[in-house]
Amino acid sequence: MGEAEKTFIGGLHEKLTEDKVIDESQLDPDFAKEITKYGGKDVMTCLQCGNCTGVCPISLRIDYKTRIIMKYCQFGLRKYTLGTQWVCATCYRCYEHCPADINPAEVMIALRHIAVREGNIPPFVKVAATNLVMYGQSVKPDVEIEKIRKELGLADVHSKDPEFKAVLREIRMIVQATKYDKLIGIDTEGKA
Amino acid sequence: MNQYAYFFGCVIPNRYPGIEYAVRWVCGKQGFDLDVKDIPEFSCCPVPGIFYSTDKDTWLTLATRNLTLAQDERREIMTVCNGCLTSLLKATEYLQDPKAMGKVNRTLSQVGRKYTGIPRKGEGTRRIFEPVKVRHYVEIMTKDVGFDAMTAKVTHPLKNIKVAVHYGCHYLRPTEHQTFDDPNDPKLIDRMVEACGATSVEYEDKLDCCGAGGGVRSHVVELANALTHDKCVNISAAGADCIVTGCPFCLLQFDNAQKSFSKDGIPVMHISQFQALAMGIDTISLGFDTHHVSVHSFLRKLRGA
Repeated sequence: MGEAEKTFIGGLHEKLTEDKVIDESQLDPDFAKEITKYGGKDVMTCLQCGNCTGVCPISLRIDYKTRIIMKYCQFGLRKYTLGTQWVCATCYRCYEHCPADINPAEVMIALRHIAVREGNIPPFVKVAATNLVMYGQSVKPDVEIEKIRKELGLADVHSKDPEFKAVLREIRMIVQATKYDKLIGIDTEGKA
Repeated sequence: MNQYAYFFGCVIPNRYPGIEYAVRWVCGKQGFDLDVKDIPEFSCCPVPGIFYSTDKDTWLTLATRNLTLAQDERREIMTVCNGCLTSLLKATEYLQDPKAMGKVNRTLSQVGRKYTGIPRKGEGTRRIFEPVKVRHYVEIMTKDVGFDAMTAKVTHPLKNIKVAVHYGCHYLRPTEHQTFDDPNDPKLIDRMVEACGATSVEYEDKLDCCGAGGGVRSHVVELANALTHDKCVNISAAGADCIVTGCPFCLLQFDNAQKSFSKDGIPVMHISQFQALAMGIDTISLGFDTHHVSVHSFLRKLRGA
């Protein structure tokens, strides 16, 4: 587990102990508002009870504690919260157990929105978005599987139909209309 | 009789075609003969771990596009995947807000689509619109088909088989969705397994996450696999012969992750495949070759060898 911990959490804990003194310039008082803008609930109402950490399957495993992330969100410690958002499995256990009805999972999703808008886009998001534009599916069709489909007597996947081109056109137009292609940095003609 | 539209999503057609075959077989003439249709224009739901996580407007528009297709056909969507279920169901809930619906429809008008919901006759001349129904395969089997009909179709009861049922997070949570099973003590897949003649074993942390969801598998596969490892330890301790799940993404995770920590692994299959076996399907049709963990141990036990 050690290796994985290093790669994604970026030593969240380490960093905080390194610069123990957090000066005011690191606090972003509008951070909580920014979170609500992307659909998270008001983190200021978090009671810091720790139920979310207690039921979080990820918190059990690694140095990621939901309650601490909520605290950092209250302080507006952007640097310490952004970077942790992609380890949430969105299992929604925290939501079920939150007495303040905050839904920490949705807060993590709001953090993902913020991080993406700061240009921090994980490669797999680009891959999935590209697949969607090219094939209409997030999972790329596989030649071997197509053979097995034939053996089973299943029809080709719909993305192979000539009529599916119209669907791809629709998807492309939607992605362009919502400016998702610009946000994620994909070419709507299909190249990442 | 209810009318449905198949919604297989991305993982099943492109990774586990055996599940697609099983679902079509169970719902077809040989099985329960349901009125269910393919809508070839369906796209990805889109996957909540990517699109819902990065831009809700794009997610909602793409999901609504799928909903309009079912709306125009006046059919209920039958999802075979927990991810598709949560994505589309959440979309129908977002669309209850007229403002959200208006915004989405403005974008969709560019591609000539409009979401209203399915019109029903109200009092007098008034028309009311109901949201498009999004339902899980398990829900349709247990609520519409029913356990009696399911038991009656079992020709090859899977006796002596011990099953560890894995529900998956988005089958159960968040409970703000309309839930068709008890989120704290789900029973439907267990009962389906029992209806097939097998035994569903209890194991520790049964409702825990497989580890794959929300982009964790794509982001840090080691972390996802560590969570799967914990689950598999508990499942082995219960002496299960196989894992049965209602979600192809959980299936994919169990199927792929087990290689990283064990040589043999516990076979894993979708509830539709399990059901089809009990209904006497030819095992070759279930596409077990595409599963990474071999199901031979399970099939041997099934044949009583």
